[in-house]
Amino acid sequence: MENLYIEATKYTPEVNLDAEKGLIEIRGKSYPENTFEFYEPILKWVEEYFNCCAKDETIVNMEIIYFNSSSSKVFFDFFDLLDENKDEHKIVINWIYDEENETAEEAGEDFIEDFEDLDIRLVVKEQ
Amino acid sequence: MAEIENKLIVEIEEVREHFSSLMDKLIKDIKRQEKIMARADKRQKKEYDELQQRLEEVQKLQLAQKELMDSFIKIIAEAIDAKSAYTGGHCERVPEIAIMLAEAADKSEKIDFEIHNDDEKREISIAAWLHDCGKVVTPEYVVDKATKLETIYNRIHEIRTRFEVIHRDLTIQALKRKLAGEDEKEVDEWLTKAHQQLQEEFEFIANVNVGGEFMTDEAKEKVKKIAKREWIRHFDDTLGLSYMERVAVENKDKTLPAKEYLLSDKPEHIIPRDKKEIEDFKKWNFKMDIPENLYNRGEVYNLMVNRGTLTKEEFFKIQEHVVMTIKMLEQLPFPENLKNVPLYAGAHHETLIGTGYPRKLKKEDLPIPARIMAIADVFEALTASDRPYKSPKKLSEAIKILSFMVKDKHLDEDLFKLFLESGIYMEYAKKYLKPFQIDEVDISQYL
Repeated sequence: MENLYIEATKYTPEVNLDAEKGLIEIRGKSYPENTFEFYEPILKWVEEYFNCCAKDETIVNMEIIYFNSSSSKVFFDFFDLLDENKDEHKIVINWIYDEENETAEEAGEDFIEDFEDLDIRLVVKEQ
Repeated sequence: MAEIENKLIVEIEEVREHFSSLMDKLIKDIKRQEKIMARADKRQKKEYDELQQRLEEVQKLQLAQKELMDSFIKIIAEAIDAKSAYTGGHCERVPEIAIMLAEAADKSEKIDFEIHNDDEKREISIAAWLHDCGKVVTPEYVVDKATKLETIYNRIHEIRTRFEVIHRDLTIQALKRKLAGEDEKEVDEWLTKAHQQLQEEFEFIANVNVGGEFMTDEAKEKVKKIAKREWIRHFDDTLGLSYMERVAVENKDKTLPAKEYLLSDKPEHIIPRDKKEIEDFKKWNFKMDIPENLYNRGEVYNLMVNRGTLTKEEFFKIQEHVVMTIKMLEQLPFPENLKNVPLYAGAHHETLIGTGYPRKLKKEDLPIPARIMAIADVFEALTASDRPYKSPKKLSEAIKILSFMVKDKHLDEDLFKLFLESGIYMEYAKKYLKPFQIDEVDISQYL
């Protein structure tokens, strides 16, 4: 399975999907002009990854500084996807945030509350 | 029938179940959507608050920077005013006149000029505060040169003269003893006359030195004649000099005793100008005539100054202050809203017909605030009562001089009229002029 890498732009995060390492990373700001178009290949990749090639352990690193509400909707769908696969695959989700970014911290807490069965860990970014 | 019924019931049940699960999903989705919206609202509020807070911080910082900048400007202006009593409170008072006149020009329908916002007003004010900032580099002894022969002086020359005198006293004493037998009366008469003439000549030179009167050709001839008096120097005048002074007398004949003139122009009196300075002038588009030498300390040369005390080299040095003002201000990265400060500040010695300095600008090159600066500069200088070298002019005299400058197209006529009509001259006079200066002014003759 091919890896997928998308460079960060002013409005979109850096995306690093690495099947060999079992790594799913999304870092940066998420205000795409067309959110669903932007995330469609990403969600597709993740779905395919769990269907064919998931590693024993999959690490999800999410470091979202700011995001719009349609990104939020996509994250729910993304977590749904993880939720559907959590029984067959070990998945650890690191929700990484800057100490000073309260909004990001609270968003992480909200996701933990919404997806009780997922292993979501809040990680304060090292300075 | 029953079979069909049962099948139908099963199908209905299936559809119902399907429908029910669809509804559940829909409800879940709606709830999720609500959640997302509620959270987004919360986040947005927070972000907005943060932005607002940052904006306030930036505004605070901007204000602090503005205050800092204004203080800096005032410090520079105060430094110039404090540097020389000859400038007095000039830098502080010119902005007062400039702002009053700019506000009047804004209101006036006759003058095509508008102040659109506080920034534009600030631009004019800053330019007025800094119009003489170049004077920080003008040597004080030039700004303050009160007599023609004044300069930074190495007193070894004076002391040497005293040695000369003692030398003569001793000679005289010896001669007196030797010649005790001469006709005393005749010698005394001659001596009295000679002393008297010497006294007169000294008084004449001393008076010329003050520079209060115009130097007629006759006076110049007399200076030259007196200068030719001779004396014999017995001491080496190349001793006790600074490095630069020593360089200037390197090739001098040191034979003693040496014949000297009472007053002289010597090669070492000339301090040459660096060629680079002349190139630099062209680069900056300054169009003034630059004297070949930086300074000329020649005694006769200085006494020959027609009016006042300044040689052409020193006069240039004084005029150079505006060159420095421009150089200093044009190097500062003024923000867009203050970009005209160098132009406004640096053009206060330009005239409307291209005869001013340093860039020989003309009326069309001079925006209204620059022309305002010129009027404010002259009026303050004329009426100031804190300059040691001149008595302050009366209001009527100052306005008459302004009117001459208007006639010569050095100052803007409309602004001059506005200055009078608006009563700004009187408002300023009441605040800064001494009561004896404020006399009756018939402004109608100028309107």
